[in-house]
Amino acid sequence: MSSKAAIQVNAVRKTFSDKKHGSRTAVDGVSFEVFPGEIFGLLGPNGAGKTTTLRVLATLLKPTSGTAILNGFDIVNQPSEVRGSIGFLSGDMGLYGRLTPREVLRFFADLNRLPDASKRVEDILKRFAIMDFAGSKIDKLSTGMKQKVAIARAMLCDPPILILDEPTSGLDVPAARAIESAILDARKRGKCIVFSTHVMEEAEYLCDRIAVINDGKIRIIGTMDHLREATGKHRLREIFVDLLGLGDTGN
Amino acid sequence: MRFDILKTIYLKEMLDQLRDRRALLSMVLVPLIAIPALMAGMGVVITIIEKKAEDQSKTLGIGLKINSPEIRQAIEKAGLKIVDKPNLKEAVEKKELAAAVEETAGAAGVPEILYYVDRSNPTSETAGDSLRTILTELKDSKVRQRLREQNIPETILTPFSFKRVNVAPERKMAGAMWGTMLGYVLLLLMFTGGIYPAIDMTAGEKERKTLELYLSSPAHRSEIVLGKILAAMTAIFLTAMLTLASIVFSIRNGGLAGKNPQMQQMLKTIPLDGHALLLIVLTLLPLALLAASIMIAIAILARSFKEGQTYLTPLALLVIFPALIGGMPGLEFTPPMAMIPIFNASQVIRSTLLGDLSSTNFLITTFANLVYAGIAFYFASRRFEDETVLFRT
Repeated sequence: MSSKAAIQVNAVRKTFSDKKHGSRTAVDGVSFEVFPGEIFGLLGPNGAGKTTTLRVLATLLKPTSGTAILNGFDIVNQPSEVRGSIGFLSGDMGLYGRLTPREVLRFFADLNRLPDASKRVEDILKRFAIMDFAGSKIDKLSTGMKQKVAIARAMLCDPPILILDEPTSGLDVPAARAIESAILDARKRGKCIVFSTHVMEEAEYLCDRIAVINDGKIRIIGTMDHLREATGKHRLREIFVDLLGLGDTGN
Repeated sequence: MRFDILKTIYLKEMLDQLRDRRALLSMVLVPLIAIPALMAGMGVVITIIEKKAEDQSKTLGIGLKINSPEIRQAIEKAGLKIVDKPNLKEAVEKKELAAAVEETAGAAGVPEILYYVDRSNPTSETAGDSLRTILTELKDSKVRQRLREQNIPETILTPFSFKRVNVAPERKMAGAMWGTMLGYVLLLLMFTGGIYPAIDMTAGEKERKTLELYLSSPAHRSEIVLGKILAAMTAIFLTAMLTLASIVFSIRNGGLAGKNPQMQQMLKTIPLDGHALLLIVLTLLPLALLAASIMIAIAILARSFKEGQTYLTPLALLVIFPALIGGMPGLEFTPPMAMIPIFNASQVIRSTLLGDLSSTNFLITTFANLVYAGIAFYFASRRFEDETVLFRT
């Protein structure tokens, strides 16, 4: 793991306000760092602020206050450069159903101005074993096939940072395993990975460090050993329940 | 603005649209098949209705309550069947008779002939026309006979003659008629043709959850908006061009005139030459850009495809009014009017077909629509910067 953080999040706060619901703080002064070659997990219940935090990092949302530096670029002042440094993936996959995997990958390669785009696309199609269905429309593919395309798209430009928002959400075990393998492989290649999940086993299995987030605030941050030490609990599920004050579940 | 990125976005949007059956339906099928079929069908339907009315007016029969045997003879001579009914007016109302003739005592002992028709019924209307002709001819022949009996020359009835001379050339008459129709159909189809692609590229992307990844790419928001607007503009312009081609084809082949030779002759005089078509195309280009920009700016506000349709359908209906007002008789197309969006384009099309388009009005129209398109583009870009709009759920 490199000593210089690839992601530095400094007191990021995000408040939404509208006439109907008034003002609501989704992320409340979140700070953390993620290093190259590290998998960092954001763990929290629904509505805890995970997606908002990741959307802020991906420059889809502007922080109300605070900022973050990704790959040396400021999310507020250099959003375009930040977007050129990240691969972003959400559980919805966000693939164009009427296009083929090859066309989708080529589109994003061109948007990123990748040199030798055709070769890069063909290489990634082979690497993720997509060649057999590279010319079929995405609408016709199975969920597992689509997820392969989605992760290939996120890694297409070989970005130093991967931001993955519940990437295994709604997937069956084999499809989720494929994503987990891709994440572990990316770590081996020195990528900085931040991903959100509410699946405890997945976080425990994949993450080098975990931040538990609730009501927009980070409750604890550290390695599994650190979390165990701080809470006196052994399993991540127990730690999570304890931190959120959900009471004894008996597990 | 980076043109390679813009080109990438534009080509992807076009590919996505061309793979969509619903978009193709509104872009290609409606102008190429529905419009010519509708126009050709209109002529055929009118001919059939007229023929049916004529046949029925003869078979259904005419009721008579008259003293004059000459009228009965004239009606029979014209091939109309005479049927007895006690209440003539009621029988016509109930469609038991095509029409009826009744003689009453008129003023100063002159008999008055009433003929009953139901003007909401084409059969009765046709029978009534026949009766009017029969009665007029009979009346004229009686007048001539009485004059002859009195040794008075028939010319006494005609102290002078008169004739209307229409100074408008046939071409101009055709231009006025079809210029209004062409502007109306083109504008309406352009706006309805743009609805689907505009919604699909904005609210549709939100619904399919593809917008988030698009926005997380290094493409600038303005590049994404412009790429989408240009793709929507292409769809709208394609709809307009196919509609224009359909109408020109129908006009050239007499499809709009049915079997009416006068109408066929008039249609051939419509000045749809290369110059006129070029002017129409040059007018429609900025209008397509304006329509696309407005539609994208509005459609991005919607959360779903359905909501997008709710927002954009009234816009397409709104277009009908300026296009219709443009066809009002006596309306003069002045330079200030050329600044009214949509209306100005319908007027340029009409003036082009009339052959009296001024270059000032054409330039003002083109420039004004480009400026309005620029303003709409600015608003659309602002919407794409607004995270409350992009991430509304």
